[in-house]
This record gives sequence, C-alpha cells and structure tokens, in this order.
Amino acid sequence: MTEQIKPDLKFINSVINAGGESLKKCFQCATCSVVCNVTPDDKPFPRKEMVQAQWGMKDKLLSNPDIWLCHQCSDCTAYCPRDAKPGEVLGAIRKLSIEHYAFPSFMGKMVADPKFLILLLLVPVLIFAVVAPYLGQIIPPQYLEGHTPEYLNELITSSAPIVYAEKFMPVPFIDTVFVLAALFAALGFGVGIMRYWKDLTAGTKVKGSIMGAVMATVTEFLAHKKFKTCEVTVDRARSHLFTFYGFVGLAITTTWAIVYLYGMHWLSPYPLRDPMKIFGNLSALSLLIGITLVIMNRMKNAEKAGMGSYFDWLFIGVIFTIVTTGLLSEILRLMQVPMLAYPVYFVHLVAIFFLFAYAPFSKMAHMVYRTTALVFAKQTGRDKT
Amino acid sequence: MADNKKVLVIGGGFSGLTAAVETAEAGSEVVLVEKTPFFGGRVTQLNKYFPKLCPPNCGLEINFRRIKNSGDITFYTSAEVEKISGEEGNFDVTVKVKSRYVNDKCVGCNACAEACPAEMPNDFNFGLDTTKAAYITHNQAFPFIYAIDDRYCKGKACAKCVDACKYNAIDLDMKPETITFKVGSIIAASGWEPYDVSKLDNLGAGKIKNVVTNMQMERLASPNGPTAGKILRPSDGKEAKNIAFVQCAGSRDENHLPYCSFICCMASLKQVTYVREQYEDSKAEIFYIDIRTPGRYEQFYWKVKDDPNVTLTKGKVARITEDIATGDIIVEAEDIMAGKKIKRTFDLVILAAGMVPSTKNSKLPVETSYTPDGFVMPASLKKGVYAVGTLKSPVDVAKSVQEATGVAIKSIQSARR
Repeated sequence: MTEQIKPDLKFINSVINAGGESLKKCFQCATCSVVCNVTPDDKPFPRKEMVQAQWGMKDKLLSNPDIWLCHQCSDCTAYCPRDAKPGEVLGAIRKLSIEHYAFPSFMGKMVADPKFLILLLLVPVLIFAVVAPYLGQIIPPQYLEGHTPEYLNELITSSAPIVYAEKFMPVPFIDTVFVLAALFAALGFGVGIMRYWKDLTAGTKVKGSIMGAVMATVTEFLAHKKFKTCEVTVDRARSHLFTFYGFVGLAITTTWAIVYLYGMHWLSPYPLRDPMKIFGNLSALSLLIGITLVIMNRMKNAEKAGMGSYFDWLFIGVIFTIVTTGLLSEILRLMQVPMLAYPVYFVHLVAIFFLFAYAPFSKMAHMVYRTTALVFAKQTGRDKT
Repeated sequence: MADNKKVLVIGGGFSGLTAAVETAEAGSEVVLVEKTPFFGGRVTQLNKYFPKLCPPNCGLEINFRRIKNSGDITFYTSAEVEKISGEEGNFDVTVKVKSRYVNDKCVGCNACAEACPAEMPNDFNFGLDTTKAAYITHNQAFPFIYAIDDRYCKGKACAKCVDACKYNAIDLDMKPETITFKVGSIIAASGWEPYDVSKLDNLGAGKIKNVVTNMQMERLASPNGPTAGKILRPSDGKEAKNIAFVQCAGSRDENHLPYCSFICCMASLKQVTYVREQYEDSKAEIFYIDIRTPGRYEQFYWKVKDDPNVTLTKGKVARITEDIATGDIIVEAEDIMAGKKIKRTFDLVILAAGMVPSTKNSKLPVETSYTPDGFVMPASLKKGVYAVGTLKSPVDVAKSVQEATGVAIKSIQSARR
C-alpha cells in the first residue's frame, strides 16, 4: 500500500506558530503513545499525529477524532526524550481545527491571532459604551433617559444605592445584545459541527446508536473519567471539574433569573439570602476556585507539560476576568463604591460578551468539538473504554 | 632517565593499559594509576567483544603480560591522583594509595575469603551477588593479589583472615600512603560508568529484579560471573529463554543522556547471540528507535536479524511492569510499523543503559572544560595532558585502543620536549 504525501508547508508553519514550535524535534520513538493513558491501542496517538504534522498532512489531522480524544494530560510531553512536547503540538492542531471549521471563517482567524485582540475587545466595548446610551433609534427612549456622559458622571459619584440594571445598563438592551451574541455563536457552532461531522464520518461506517454514544460520553464526562487517568498533571481533573460545574451552576442561575425577571417581573438586585442568589454565588466560587487552580497547575507543570499558547491563555484570561469582575461587582455594589462598581461591572459585561459571541472560535469550542469527537469515537468503537 | 621524562597514565582500563604499554615499549617510563584494586576496567566485566565474539580476557592477558615484562611501568592500584601541578614537561603529581591490607606474599589461595565473615555486594558483578570483604574479582584478575574492602571488613577485632593466611600476606595495620613524583606528560583514561537506571522511573527504576542492565547481562553470561555463565534470571534462577532488549535506556533522551551512547545497539545484538547460543529454543526481541551499527558493524546486525527467533521491533519501550506472581516482565511499546500499542511478557528484560563518562561525577585532577554531559573537551586540556577513550565521547573498545595507541607518541613528545 502506497500513499503519496503532499506536504502542506503552510500548515506545518501554522502548527509551529500555534504553539507547536517543538514539533520538528520529534524523532518518532513512540514513547508518547506508550505513556498515554487515554489513547486506544490500535493506531495510538500522539506519535502518528506528530509525524503527520511534520509532513504537513493537514486533511488527516483536522478531521481526526484522536486530536480530541487527547485531554492534554502531558504525560507524553514529560516523558518525551526530545522535548518535542506532543501535548502542546496536539493543542496547536486542535486550535487549527477550530479555526478550520469556524463559521464565519474570518472570525476563526481573528480569535486565533493576537493581532486582532484589541479589535475583538472593541466590539463589546463600543456596544456597551457608545451604542448603548445613545442609539435611540434601536433602544426605546424610555430606557435611555438621562444616559449621557453627565449622567454617568453623576451616577458614579452619587451616594444612591447601586443598581446595575435600571440605572446603568437597561435590561432589555443587555438581553438583546446577549441573545444576538448567543444566536451568532449558535450559528457558528451549528455550521462548524455539521462540517466537522461530515469530515469525521466520511468513508466510515457508523455502527452503534448515536444516543447510546451520547449518553456514554456525557456520563463519562460528568465524572471526568478520562481526565483522572492523567499522571503528570493529575490535578487537572479537579480544576476542570470546579470550572465545569461552576459554569453549569451559572447557566442554571441565569435561567432561574430569567424566571424571576420575566416570569415574576421581579427586578435585580436580589437579596443575598434568596436561594437563586446563594446558588449563583456558590457557582461563581466554584468557577473562581477552578480557574485559579487551572492557572496554578499550569504554572506548576510548565516545565514538564509546557507553558501553553496564546489560544489557551486567552480563554483562561477571559474566564478569570468574568469570574473576578462578577464577584467584585457584587461586592462593590454591597459596599456602595459606585466609582469602582460601575466600571468593574462594565468590564464584566465586555468579558461575558467576549466569551459568548466568540465561543465557536475560541478554546471554548473544545466543549462542542471534543464532545462530538468522543461521540463519534464511541459510536465507531474507536474510543478506549 | 630524568623523572620528568616519565608519562603518567590515569586509569587502568583497556585504554589506560594500552596507553601504558605502548608508551613504555616505545621507550618511556610510565606510572600507571588505577582506582580499584585490579586492572582491566569495564572490559574485564564483559563476556565477549563485538563483533568477533571472542572473550576479552585473552586481550587483557596479553597486556598484563606486557606490563609484567616491561621494566618501565610502575603501577599503583587502589590509588587515585589527588593533585597535579606544573606544565608540559614538568608536572608534579600527588597520588594517594589506599590500603589493600594484603601484600605481595599473597598466592591467591582464597583461604582469607573462606575465613572472612563479612559479606558485601559484589560491585564487579553489579550487585547480582555478594562477595566477602576479603576478595578477588575473578580468577584471571591482575594483580593476582586479594584485597580487603575496609568499608565492610570488621577490622582487627575479627582478624580471622590473618589466622587463615599461611603466607603472612595480610596486614590489617597497612596505612594509606601518599606518593609524589614528577612526570613530563599525562594521559587521562578514567573511563565510564553505566547510566544509573534508577532514574528511569517508567522502566522499573532499577527496582524490578528481572530487569537488568546490559552490563549486568555481561556478567550473567560470563563464565566467571555470578551464574558461571548460565543466563538465569535473578528473581528465581529460572533459565531466561525469552528476553527483551530495551534500547536507549537513558540515551538519546533530553531527560537523561541527550547523546547516543554508540555501543548499545551492537552490545544488545551481541547479547542476543549469548541467549540464542545458550538455549536452542530461546527467543529475543529488541525494541529500538533506530538500530545504529555504524560502518562494518552493519554486517553483524544483518547476521543477527536473519535468525528467525530474533524479532526487531521499532518502538521505544516506555513502560515496564512486573507480574508479581510469576516474576515475568511486561513490556509496553508502540509497534510503529504495525501502528499498534503492544504489551509483551518476557522472562528477563535487558536495559541498554547508556555510557556516562567518569568525569561526569569526578573531575580530572587538572584544570579543563567539560560538556554539560561531563565529557572532556579535548581542546581545553592543558598542553601535555591527553584524554582518551570514553572521556571524550562514547566509543567502543576498538576505538579506545586506537586512540590510546595514538596518544602514546604524543605523550612521549610532550615529555621530551
């Protein structure tokens, strides 16, 4: 059996630039495949991905479910005799895969590239800072009454109780912005996943039932079973669990708040003893603990597992900003420090927008692509059980 | 001849012995200093040389004979060069000679060892067995004089060996000596150590009995070794008929030795022949990254490869575990050609441990520069000082001998300049 390889040189360079700079050091000894606890025994990763990346076999890699079966435990990186960091290389390939399936595709390129960070930040900043108070044609005027620079100045210097919703960012406006952002993200995810699934299943007979595979993926995931098999970065399972359940809790809190607001016509802020508030605060704490552990673990394991890429740290930075500004907004409001409270809340909104609207193009997309790949792998018997 | 026309040779392994006899036979006086009580170094521990598969004791025997016959070689065993000062043509050397506690009246009758109650790990056999504190490494050792290891000897309170010796050869009062002399040039040939496999945590970390190093394998196969040449596994003495060789155990690894140790592929291929010759139904499998058999050694590789009971699997072993119940060893690798992760069970596993220059852990007594891995950088050596063999890079015996022979003339030139 012969196969003609047409190296995609641009792809090799993009892997290198996306955090896989050590790629070329690999000399194919396969230590990585052996120390990996999550790889299947047949055609194991990441050794084959390393040679495919060195040879620029783009098509083989981007639609390969194995790049997502990898949880970047970094046991491979720690034991690699060449310091080729297979864990980091697979991370870089995953990033390129997210970029490849991105819709609209220019968004994929922008989120992946630090050059566009300011521009991407500018979008929510402008929406919240400029457009919000002054675009009377879109927002009903009664909600914008008094939202002038003078009013804002008065607001942050006044001693009246802080109320973000009514006094600062009108609820219908915020909801419109975030619903649109969510729709944009949903569209991006939808198209991306359809394209990915098409490539995944091309030429493969899908055997088992999809529901069975989904259930198996979800149950495995809820307990973080795969993560727990990591050796060098064994503590990552815990930090990811905290982060994940923090997010789940906050999603529930948001739904709960929608019921209060639209179902019961009860406006925020809600008292601290309200069950929804307690639940929300606990979720935020879980997220804070989780993301702080993520950062600490990454620092601690940097020598063995690698420092991570821009793509990783952008994602971590956004989550860290969201959770810290969120908690600070609440604390500053309770302490009545309007001078700080309103600006912090503003940053909080910008960060949430960033996470939501750019989710299909940022590392946040891992939750969708990895889940899809795991479902596929379970359905085809590819996944190690 | 003036004192400062002498040549000092540091290390009595094959390189040092060769340098000493070649220099002496060309007409210079030589002082040969060996750290252990016996000459021969690593080569003495080998069962056979590659590629000719002849036992090394015959080559050693010839060199020992040349030393004895030459009137120009003064040698010290259990001795270390402590200090060197001066310059080419005029070095002052200080040597510390530790006590052997046995003098040259010894006839090698073994009565002292039989009487000695103190057991100690046998370093010569890499800890595969024990020996007495009054000992000789093997039956062709040179000098053929027993030695007493004072780390384990119970001292004058015991003195059972003194009573047992009929020749008045044992002197437990023997004191260390410090000797000073002048030489004109210096040849450093202090050799190498096997890589410490306890650092390879995924390969058993030196704790699994039936996982041994390639140098231990030489002792297991050697007629003067702990099993008298029968390849038996250490845990239960069972005949080891199904053996795995794990290449690059430490070598070519940024976490351990970043260089290729040069000899391990040939050594493993050679050791495959030990097993195949000993047991007709035996099997051997070599796990490798690349088989490196430079130059004409390639032919040796072809010969071994043609044996149907020998399997060569491309893929580095990255996990070794023990089946506690049977003592068998489970080896994990990716068979790269098949694209499959494999687990195979063996009676005995040999780690092809790499070569570490002795200068990694103990520097030469002269000012010089080293690579980060401890190899001597030859250009940094002072005029009149030469390094040979494995001090500069990992080499085999043949290459060491060539170098040592070549350096003889250089050292004579330095001494007579």
